[in-house]
Amino acid sequence: MYSRTLRFLLAAAATTLFAATPKAAFAQQTHYPLTLTNCGQEITFEQAPERVVSVGQSSTEILYLLGLADKVVGTALWLGPVLEEFEAVNAEIPRLADNAPSFESVLSAKPALVTTQFESQIGPKGVVATTAQFADLGIPVYTAPADCIGKDNSTGGDGLRTETFAMDLIYREIDDLARIFDVKERGEALIADLKAREAAAKEKIATLTGDISAVFWFSSAELQTDPYVAGRRGAPAYIMSTLGIRNVIDSAEEWPTIGWETIARADPTVIVAGEMDRRRYPADDLAVKLEFLRTDPVTSLMPAVREDRIVIMDAQAMNPTIRTIEGIEILAEGLAQVGLAK
Amino acid sequence: MRTASAPVRLLAGGTLAAVTLTGAVALGAAVGETSIPVETVLKTVANRLWAAGYALDPIDEGIIWNYRIARALVAACCGASLALCGAVLQSLLRNALADPYILGISAGASSGAVAVAILGLGSGFLTLSLGAFAGALIAFGLVALLALGAGRGPAAIILAGVAGSQLFNALTSFIVTKSATADQARGIMFWLLGNLSGVRWPDVWLAVPVALAGFVLCQGHARALDAFAFGTQSAASLGVPVKRVYAALIAAAAFMTATMVSIVGSIGFVGLVIPHAARLLVGVRHGVLLPASALIGAAFMVAADILSRTIIPGQVLPIGVMTALVGAPAFAMILIHRPVAR
Repeated sequence: MYSRTLRFLLAAAATTLFAATPKAAFAQQTHYPLTLTNCGQEITFEQAPERVVSVGQSSTEILYLLGLADKVVGTALWLGPVLEEFEAVNAEIPRLADNAPSFESVLSAKPALVTTQFESQIGPKGVVATTAQFADLGIPVYTAPADCIGKDNSTGGDGLRTETFAMDLIYREIDDLARIFDVKERGEALIADLKAREAAAKEKIATLTGDISAVFWFSSAELQTDPYVAGRRGAPAYIMSTLGIRNVIDSAEEWPTIGWETIARADPTVIVAGEMDRRRYPADDLAVKLEFLRTDPVTSLMPAVREDRIVIMDAQAMNPTIRTIEGIEILAEGLAQVGLAK
Repeated sequence: MRTASAPVRLLAGGTLAAVTLTGAVALGAAVGETSIPVETVLKTVANRLWAAGYALDPIDEGIIWNYRIARALVAACCGASLALCGAVLQSLLRNALADPYILGISAGASSGAVAVAILGLGSGFLTLSLGAFAGALIAFGLVALLALGAGRGPAAIILAGVAGSQLFNALTSFIVTKSATADQARGIMFWLLGNLSGVRWPDVWLAVPVALAGFVLCQGHARALDAFAFGTQSAASLGVPVKRVYAALIAAAAFMTATMVSIVGSIGFVGLVIPHAARLLVGVRHGVLLPASALIGAAFMVAADILSRTIIPGQVLPIGVMTALVGAPAFAMILIHRPVAR
């Protein structure tokens, strides 16, 4: 176990994370018992958890980035390939399910902590189990703050945001997990690194040429039907506002379905198309998305399609995750490529 | 009207039908998620039908012609078919509660759609619609076999339909609870409640011939259906080839319903209630009842679709919700105000 940790630290963390902050910046050690307020519930730790099951790719990747892969005893709910630098590490950790794991499969991994990216998975009405079911067994559940702060999940579906998402919520998740596992220094380094990348991406397009708008297309339940596009308060909204781009969609839902009629007439400068490994709907496939945009009698006439102002983005970056930063980088790059920014 | 001769009545009826249908489709073309001036709508139609060559925004023109008109035409075909099937089945089975879904078609379509969307059956070449169509026909085949085995008479068909529906509904629930995530289930639910957003011209070329052929076939049996009102034995004694008529009409109804369900999902209410409304308005003679049902069904469905797109700005409601929400009170009004003696 020790050697894996060491290898991991050398391979992943040392290259980027520790370079970003001087080693002298000593963070405080965690004092146990540690009590945190997470998504309206108090969770207490007598010591750093030795075994954690992570439901949700972003939660899992944050744990990896914090150098905690050796504590992860099970993962679930994958949308795409793991961050490249963790391929080897991830291959050795049991994947309980590609999608939602069963309650018992989580329990059988004997976790001392369960982290979840979505309340719809584990929460008041979670499909895996409720938070209370885990509490009965003495297993604390840590929920990504991005899914509960400023977000109402009681309406079902992908939920409704009452406040606009900001990366601060992801930084808070990193900080919380770093405290729980007593690796505050790594947490601070990771946050500093992400902030630096965000600033660099922003720098890249210091000058946008004119009023630029965009629509983020995640997928569609059926190819020709109303697509799932980004509402005005989710991660794409954060990406857009960071870069000074206007979202043509005005819904407060996380992923509302909006008709192509409305989208075509809103005439976005850029269409951001999601790329993912998931193959639940035909339109999950990027090639199918592009084919639709170019052949549908209406969308094929949209200036963004005719002038090929389509930016391809990993769908993970479109959800509130650590990869949202990557979304900022990709969109900045894409705008520069089509000559909309300098 | 009593003194009018048959050709005059036919002409009057035909004109009424043409005006109603054209009016409904025109309304469907003029009203949508975004507002497009009526002038643009008329010019689009002139451009497409008579190559009038008006200079229009191609996106507006595309939206009206490829989205809205295609959608209105399919809605009309679907409404007409479901109402027609309802009228035929209610007479044939001598049951006021019979509707197109009594043959297990809706349940079978759900199972088929779920099998494709969630289990990934035949992924790649089977679409949701094809899956639904196959499921509907399989369910109908099973119900037909069961009915044949159960003996003759309308009661056997209805009971077989109930049994088949229960079986396929259970199968759907089984698949959903076993394998679906919450948002998958939501996507399927949305589809099952009916949705015309993905409708394009290829769907029109499928829906129109099926609706027309079905109508001609049913209308050709109008006299026989009149005879069935007195029971199968009386019909037989009047010289109606009972078995052949039964088989032909039920198969036609099943095929029409399965086609429509596979294009737009199972839209409830229309097939059950429109025939009753038509009966209250024009009487029980099938020569008039069948075209009246089809016409009212068509106009009603187009209207319901328009409402489903516009009642909540920026959001499209499932049309099945709309048909019941608007249709139930409307039907109540007809029931209360119907002429006491006919």
